[in-house]
Amino acid sequence: MAKEIYFEDINIGDAMPTFTSDPLTRTHLVRYAGASGDFNPLHHDETFVTMFGMPRVIAHGMLIMGITSRAITEWIDNKCLKNFKVRFSGMTEPADLSDIENTKARATITVTGNVVNKFAEGGENRIQCDIQAVDALGGVKLTGSFIAALPSK
Amino acid sequence: MADKSKLGMEFSPYTFEVEKGKIAEFAMAISQKEDKDQVNPLYVNREAAQKAGYKDIIAPPTFQACFPLWAGGGLMPVIQALGINLFRLLHGEEEYDYLGAIHPGDIMMGKSKVVDMYDKEKKDKPGKFMEFTVIETEISNQRGELVIKSRSTLVER
Repeated sequence: MAKEIYFEDINIGDAMPTFTSDPLTRTHLVRYAGASGDFNPLHHDETFVTMFGMPRVIAHGMLIMGITSRAITEWIDNKCLKNFKVRFSGMTEPADLSDIENTKARATITVTGNVVNKFAEGGENRIQCDIQAVDALGGVKLTGSFIAALPSK
Repeated sequence: MADKSKLGMEFSPYTFEVEKGKIAEFAMAISQKEDKDQVNPLYVNREAAQKAGYKDIIAPPTFQACFPLWAGGGLMPVIQALGINLFRLLHGEEEYDYLGAIHPGDIMMGKSKVVDMYDKEKKDKPGKFMEFTVIETEISNQRGELVIKSRSTLVER
């Protein structure tokens, strides 16, 4: 849960707290498949993806967006969130349990962001924060932004 | 290749009843947790949510992604209706406007419409185009309140 943050305490250029996920495993992908109802075999069945020349399954883009939402709501209270948008730019392969040390970097997602605007809209004080989710090898998974309405002191 | 004559096409509305267990399951999935006591209490604990100023447990910001998949037959009917090539399909963008909260017991109705279709030339392959289809969905609750507006951009590469 987020602590209360006031509009006056936020400045353009401020960084949101950096968030890092656990290394994604195939079990995380299966759990998200069940929760979301997205059973595209691309996300859990290696006998399917190898037909297309892919070495292994990939995470749902929406799981990465969900992980990104965690980063946001650990900083900003859910009820403050007004808009959240992402553009998907890279696929995420899960870590291999047989070789976790050498594969966890590609499956560990770090979310960072910076406040780029402060403005009034609809009688509310709002901030816009640009965000990105990147793996530990530097591969960009998504870029985007969110808008939050913050209370004033 | 998406059929551009489908611009403006509306899909049959879907209805999704929000269950507390589904919110917890979704919250655990995006939180990479195996126990609901380890996730943000706003998603699983009524008292904690009320203490934080909510009427009841709330859903995570991307929870509505499960509505069409569990209630509306998923993406396949949309892809087929629009003539999109599944093997070229990528999820390009996703956007949500939040206008209200979603709580257990709410009955959500989603109405989707094709609001834009356009091509963009590939930078590395002149003369070849990527095709974009934008689907907007208005999600309302049982009181007719518009709660979320979503925009999904599908890309055929």
